[in-house]
Amino acid sequence: MTSQLLAAIPLAIVASTPLLLAVLGELVVERAGMINLGIEGMMLTAAMTAVVAAQWTHSITIGFLAGIAGAAAIGALFGLFAIRFAVDQIVTGTAIVLLAQGLTGVVYRQLQQSAIFLQPVPRFDTDVVVPLAWIVIPIVLAFLLWRTRFGLRLRACGELPAAVTAVGASVAMHRWIALAIESVLTGIAGAYLALALSSGFAENMTSGRGFIALSIVIFGRWKLKGALLGTAVFGIAAAAQYSLQASGRGIPFHLLLAMPYVVTLLILCGIAGRVRAPESLGR
Amino acid sequence: MSAGTPSGKLHIPISVSRIGIALMAATTAIAGLALCGIAFGRSPGELLAILASGSIGSSFALQGTLLKSVPLLLTGLSVAIAFRAGVWNIGGEGQFLIGALGAFLGARYGLIASLAAAVLAGAIWASIATAMRLWRNAPEVLTTILLNFIAIHLLGYAVNGPLQEASGKYPQSDAVPAGAALPLLGNLELHAGVVIAVLVAIAAWYLLYRTAEGLRLRATGFNRSAAKWAGVNVDAQLIRAMAISGAMAGLAGGIELLGVTHRLFERFAAGYGYAGIAVALLAQLHPLGTIASAFFFGALTTGAGELQRTAGISSMVATLAQAIVILAMIAFMRRSKASS
Repeated sequence: MTSQLLAAIPLAIVASTPLLLAVLGELVVERAGMINLGIEGMMLTAAMTAVVAAQWTHSITIGFLAGIAGAAAIGALFGLFAIRFAVDQIVTGTAIVLLAQGLTGVVYRQLQQSAIFLQPVPRFDTDVVVPLAWIVIPIVLAFLLWRTRFGLRLRACGELPAAVTAVGASVAMHRWIALAIESVLTGIAGAYLALALSSGFAENMTSGRGFIALSIVIFGRWKLKGALLGTAVFGIAAAAQYSLQASGRGIPFHLLLAMPYVVTLLILCGIAGRVRAPESLGR
Repeated sequence: MSAGTPSGKLHIPISVSRIGIALMAATTAIAGLALCGIAFGRSPGELLAILASGSIGSSFALQGTLLKSVPLLLTGLSVAIAFRAGVWNIGGEGQFLIGALGAFLGARYGLIASLAAAVLAGAIWASIATAMRLWRNAPEVLTTILLNFIAIHLLGYAVNGPLQEASGKYPQSDAVPAGAALPLLGNLELHAGVVIAVLVAIAAWYLLYRTAEGLRLRATGFNRSAAKWAGVNVDAQLIRAMAISGAMAGLAGGIELLGVTHRLFERFAAGYGYAGIAVALLAQLHPLGTIASAFFFGALTTGAGELQRTAGISSMVATLAQAIVILAMIAFMRRSKASS
């Protein structure tokens, strides 16, 4: 059992890479004072645009770029409502998830009837995304958010937006940039999910990863170390699931499928006592 | 997570323009679908004609629409009550499924027991989120969503395992005993659940607007700390609102089982829980408005089914329309608030 678990860990790291990217993206956005439930829809849209573009052009790179573009389009819609209109972010986010599910469902069904779908999805060979997600991006974000004036202001947008306005900077602009960062990260996440972890698109293939990401951001107390740790805890639980599945010890398959969500619930409940969220989160 | 309370920001302007806003949002959604038609090389008029004839064009279509409206009305009420109290229950989908599961288990004891089991099961499932909120400060917006996924896999386990049909052929349950099925109304295809759902809507309106308890519930949603200062036991309101909300979604699942499908299967919920959010917002969280709103989305759902059959356009357009309605509602309500 222990050796099986150890063997499953590399697989778990790879499998939780899209989740980590989403966690990092959401962390940036929440630090800037927004809760984006729509991240689930951004990732789902990215998965679809990435697959379609990759099939069309036979290029993995263009697939990833299209994933980013897809996530950015949905992210921009969230920004329009959350930043420009300043309406409720949870309702907006929920609507955006539905929008992405509807849109990808309708568009994908329509495209399946066209000739692109006879093309194979290109193979994904050299995996640069895993080290990028687990090492490079966290270091870059740590520097950007905690060692630059821009980062200080972005975090101030989440704590005391009036202070940002007082020094003559724009809260809206910092929030748009935060959304742009999230779009890039979730775009890569969606593309990686569809092109590397699966070989194509399927309806609702993100299966709640965006919501799990939001939970991990809270568990990690809106800190980068916490985000990495939370995703790792989740990944190890996933590894346990794979090894249980492989060992075939009679735990029904469908109950194993529920495990990631049960683990996430436990992770959320593990935040004993007061967790201090950014002061102006969601406002 | 210190997200604003639902009705705190979704301030409802008190004027006749409320109905106007809802009509504008509904029209926007229909227009959006018609424009989708252009993208797929179909004329918008043709699509609208299919939508209309497939949903209200014949007595058969109309009965289909009413059948779809029943679960939508109940999940819409579930969301309306929760959001009114300032509780983010996004877990209608899971409560719907657990309600159906409860109804299935209670069905051997008759119709009433079965419906009661659905109500109870939905309330208990939703209350898990309340417990996590009060004891561990876990935000219910996330816990209710996570519970949806758990419910889906629990149902998958049930219909592949302990509750699979005796013949073991498909991943579905046996049919509920005939004695527990909801009776049909006259010689129509409609079951008695239509009547139950409308009665629940009236009861919800009475609770919210004609009782002191309802006033406390709305006060809690409008401004939690002010309600507390006014002597309202806020925690008790949150517990109760979530339980009632879950009970209604659970009842929706029970009625769908006992009136329409008679069996459980993996894709049983089909999005009714999430659709409830669109239903409630189009009705501006008003229980009686929810009746009209549920009918609109019921018509959209059956019309979308017809689009898929005759025009080959995915019935997911109904989900798309729900999203457009929600976004249009919050955008229009913001503008009317700014101008008032």
